[in-house]
Amino acid sequence: MADLNTKYLGLDLRNPIIAASSGLTDTVKDIVELDKNGVGAVVLKSIFEEQIHLEADHNIRKMQADGLTYDEYSETMDYIDVHIKEKELSNYINLIHEVKSKVSIPVIASINAVTPLEWTSFAKQIETAGADAIELNIFVMPFGTDKECNENEAVYYKILKKVKEAVTIPVAVKLSPYFSNLGKVLLNLEKEGANGLVLFNRFSAPDIDIENIKTSHAEIFSHTNEMYNVLRWVGIMANKLNADLSATTGVHDGASAIKMLLAGAATVQVSSTLYKNGVGYLSTMLNDMHSWMDKKGFRYIDQFRGKLAHDANDNNNVFERMQFMRYFSEIK
Amino acid sequence: METIAEYIKKGRPDAWRAELRKSMKAKERTSLERVVMPEQDPNVRNKNIEEVNFGITEEMAVVEAHRCLDCPEPTCTIGCPVGIDIPHFIKKIESKDFLGAAAVIKQTNALPAVCGRVCPQEKQCELQCFYTQKLHKPAIAIGNLERFAADYERNSGKMSVPAIAESNGIKVAVVGSGPSGLAAAGDLAKMGYDVTVFEALHEIGGVLKYGIPEFRLPNDIVDVEIENMRKMGVKFRTDFIVGKTASFEDLREQGYQAFFVGSGAGLPKFMNIPGENFNGIFSSNEYLTRINLMKAAYDDYDTPVLEGKNVAVVGGGNTAMDSVRTSKRLGAKRSMIIYRRSIEEMPARVEEVHHAQAEEIEFMNLHNPVEYYADENGRVNRMRVQKMELGEPDASGRRRPIPIEGSEFDIDVDLVVVAVGVSPNPIVPASLKDLKMTDWGTIVVDKETMQSSIPDIFAGGDIVRGGATVILAMGDGRTAAVGIDQYIQEKVKAN
Repeated sequence: MADLNTKYLGLDLRNPIIAASSGLTDTVKDIVELDKNGVGAVVLKSIFEEQIHLEADHNIRKMQADGLTYDEYSETMDYIDVHIKEKELSNYINLIHEVKSKVSIPVIASINAVTPLEWTSFAKQIETAGADAIELNIFVMPFGTDKECNENEAVYYKILKKVKEAVTIPVAVKLSPYFSNLGKVLLNLEKEGANGLVLFNRFSAPDIDIENIKTSHAEIFSHTNEMYNVLRWVGIMANKLNADLSATTGVHDGASAIKMLLAGAATVQVSSTLYKNGVGYLSTMLNDMHSWMDKKGFRYIDQFRGKLAHDANDNNNVFERMQFMRYFSEIK
Repeated sequence: METIAEYIKKGRPDAWRAELRKSMKAKERTSLERVVMPEQDPNVRNKNIEEVNFGITEEMAVVEAHRCLDCPEPTCTIGCPVGIDIPHFIKKIESKDFLGAAAVIKQTNALPAVCGRVCPQEKQCELQCFYTQKLHKPAIAIGNLERFAADYERNSGKMSVPAIAESNGIKVAVVGSGPSGLAAAGDLAKMGYDVTVFEALHEIGGVLKYGIPEFRLPNDIVDVEIENMRKMGVKFRTDFIVGKTASFEDLREQGYQAFFVGSGAGLPKFMNIPGENFNGIFSSNEYLTRINLMKAAYDDYDTPVLEGKNVAVVGGGNTAMDSVRTSKRLGAKRSMIIYRRSIEEMPARVEEVHHAQAEEIEFMNLHNPVEYYADENGRVNRMRVQKMELGEPDASGRRRPIPIEGSEFDIDVDLVVVAVGVSPNPIVPASLKDLKMTDWGTIVVDKETMQSSIPDIFAGGDIVRGGATVILAMGDGRTAAVGIDQYIQEKVKAN
């Protein structure tokens, strides 16, 4: 039987399928379940800077509504966001402690940061709590018209630099594809010390309800066809980077995982497919990977990883082909 | 049962009040200026711990009382959490029946001299006053008049003891001797219950003693009010921690039929920023308790507190103001408030902010600490602060402070007091596993009765609200007293 053991961020994984940061990686019970079903590693649910503000607002409203907690003169309410943050961070540290005591697979903590101000001391606590690595989920809104592109990019580098200075465990950066020159940004992140790059962050999408003429949310789960942009960037960058690539978004089955590995990814991260099919589907994915490797005669992942990655010397420039013009002209 | 509004309206038609109203035209009343309370000179008072405000004289009180229109719909009373019959006591002052005024207040308020000093009247009764609401003029100085009546009575040596119902012999325990506990104890004693207040510390008064400095609320004032409660039959046991010294079960076995838990919020919160554990960084609880209760500022007491020349107090509430003004009185050259919002958003009483400004306290608004540094002995010697700007409003309606990147700079400090809030005291909840709690460690109660998930346990004040004012805590105590009475009466009937 083929051996799925692999390395990611210098960590030994029994296979390259990682449970992505999601509601499925939020509790010890769920993570133990993922472990039992064969997952290679878990990325804990992100702790969000923004969520802390939202939760503070929620608490203020709740306390005002019940008429018992009087906010106007209370220092506690005045600093409620600070206290919520402290509580959230402390819960997160406890989660790391507990998960590490229950499972032997690597546990990657995830921080969702939008500024370089808040998280560096927390990163140190995460390391002390026993996390094997940190995934920095950074997203600076690309909608602002008041900032130059490089100003936004500088925030990514600064957050990474500060966290790297604070910890010795490996750090991966999860980011979106929305950059004017993503390739260069990825190289720069590697230069700033990123041990891994997670492509890509997937966002909630807007929709419009035409019956009621109002905005709504599009479906929250990814579709399989969303994997192709990820595949492109994994393929383009795999040979340009020493940092590990982890492919996420649209990876729903064993076949798509294999495609990502062929393009050069070290690992894949899954969540939508586990929501849709249950965590038991991990074993189906792993079986499919085993079968394919056996069929193709690969005993180890490294025998095929990156086999189809873009290389200046080969013809795999399909990854770089963006426009359809020639394709269309050929049809004519 | 008579509502507060009905009770307050009932006395207005009395002949003496009708006569008083006629004695002066409304226009004459409204043309009078609000009487200003005399106070110590700021540059003198910031070097002593004597009370800042002197109180008003009899003449001043009568002039101020003349301003009150004795409104048919006294909106001021809506703003009072303990339902003081405000126009009634003010008219008593106008008619120079000062002892009568004190008696009116004490019908519903067990601690008038305290409330007259520390209530945020400008956001309660005085905010709802006809002058504020309709005339857009300074409100009647209700707080100053309340203080006057209480002080007059105390100084007269003729302290009245409220009428007490015949003893019913039923034992009720009050846990904590802060404002909510004292209010509950007072009302339960008036109803004829056999009330014992259990206090963990060696002094009675809770936050009134350990939290509020003498320059704002002298301990003697609190002691007099407590003494009056003793006269009402309330018993006090100090150095007694319910949940440790004795359990609730032990007390039930001793015959206590119901409990009021007002154990407060004595667990300090910090900001969890680097360096916060260095020596010289105190919680406001510790700093103020050491000075107020343990007399750390006095040379003849062997419970000292570190003194600072450059003191930073983090926070914008009353506790922050108390801490920073205390540090100045203890000899600091530079006493600073570090607060992340602007001065308008400070939760402290306006009067306290004004007093602090007059006492040469520096206000570093829109600044937030991000890290502390220490010397080779581990004593804080520097703090890094970051400038903030105000963003969109949060759910409280105040604009959220947002850090300005790259704006950090360092300030030399040798003492820091962190006054960013407190958590409820966990001892009682920890000793009762069936007690329903919120995520915030506060006790869940029925708002109408203050009854907890354990039927014979009622609660109020900071242990329920997570942080409130003295008067709100007292309001809880009063509500709970009614709830306890109903609970016990139903239990008695059932048996």
